[in-house]
Amino acid sequence: MTIRLNVNGKQNTIDCQAGEMLTEVLRRAGYLEVKKGCDTGNCGACTVLVDGKPVLSCSYLAARAEGREITTIQGLAEEARAFARFLTAEGADQCGFCAPGFALTVLSMKKELHNPDEAEIRHYLAGNLCRCSGYEGQIRAIKKYLEAEHA
Amino acid sequence: MEILEYARPRNMDEAFRLIRERRGTAIGGAAWLRTNTKIMTLGVDLAGLGLEYIREAGGCIEIGAMTTYRELETSPLLKSRFGSLFDATVSHVVGIQLRNIITVGGTVAGRYGFSDLNTTLCALGAKVVFYPGQTLALADFIEKGAGGPFLLEKILLPASMKAAYQQMRISENDFPIINTTSAWTGSGWRIAVGSRPAATRLCRRAMAFLGDEPRPSDEKIASASQIAADELQFGSDIRASAEYRREILPALVRRALVEVRG
Repeated sequence: MTIRLNVNGKQNTIDCQAGEMLTEVLRRAGYLEVKKGCDTGNCGACTVLVDGKPVLSCSYLAARAEGREITTIQGLAEEARAFARFLTAEGADQCGFCAPGFALTVLSMKKELHNPDEAEIRHYLAGNLCRCSGYEGQIRAIKKYLEAEHA
Repeated sequence: MEILEYARPRNMDEAFRLIRERRGTAIGGAAWLRTNTKIMTLGVDLAGLGLEYIREAGGCIEIGAMTTYRELETSPLLKSRFGSLFDATVSHVVGIQLRNIITVGGTVAGRYGFSDLNTTLCALGAKVVFYPGQTLALADFIEKGAGGPFLLEKILLPASMKAAYQQMRISENDFPIINTTSAWTGSGWRIAVGSRPAATRLCRRAMAFLGDEPRPSDEKIASASQIAADELQFGSDIRASAEYRREILPALVRRALVEVRG
């Protein structure tokens, strides 16, 4: 089947199988910033925004995404770069594989929650696994990023 | 799961026809399709049919089949009627990204043993409404199924109820080893237990034992909790043995009952 996907404001016409998930289809269309991690709905590396909400693209039916607005990390590059500076400053970015999904979830949290405390941050980010950092640096980075954004 | 043909019906009548006449399978959140090895001949996508809602109607709370877990978790209406019950029930399920996908209808229709939500819904006395109009008690549906192809439209809940959810997991985001919800209906108690690891069941003997006493003593609650563990069957799987589940359950039931009683 052929579907039309709006990715980062650009229309794409893509062939896909009926049961195919969004990760595969996006990567085949060249959106390689969407990372394929566990591929079982657990790690958060494949996170994209669909109509502004973070979802796991490995568990989201590609055909269902037709007619919706899909945003990858490239679609929020400017905001992501601003956040990435805090990650780097806190030594929280090592292999970087989880970073696109992680940053998208943080940017989504910033819109959804007003001034979240650490428990709320940890809860919101529970679906983004990082095998390198131990999370402490990331939490510091998020807090400082949010403080700077609200200043 | 492989889907041979995908259909996105424009209305409920069309969806119902595809399911009944062409043996289609309704697609809810689709989050578990990834890990399923079956072949679906015709997948009928329920997205876009207006089944995403949580609203009050006719003295009940109606929850549309395509409502996501995240919508349950953040609903001001559910919070005002059930306190933090729904937040406590679904917030352990992986991450927000998955809870933005998983749907109430998919969970209920699947009658999954590991479900947190089905346990809470059963304890609340939820009813399942199938299009075009059949209504079943959720506890009966989970136990016996629908008896044929069905299109789940919505869940009905009482307008409000005091209830508490308890669970035990090996780690956050994993499936529960065991879970339970207790509720005071205003005239009696309801206790549901899930992840045994089989699907949710009501603890009818324990409920009868508690009777219509709104403030049972600690001793009575302890006895009811043990009755609940004694009346159910448990199984063993990778997460825990049947014996372990039976040992753990009374403590969880007791905590839930005490929380509701106050």
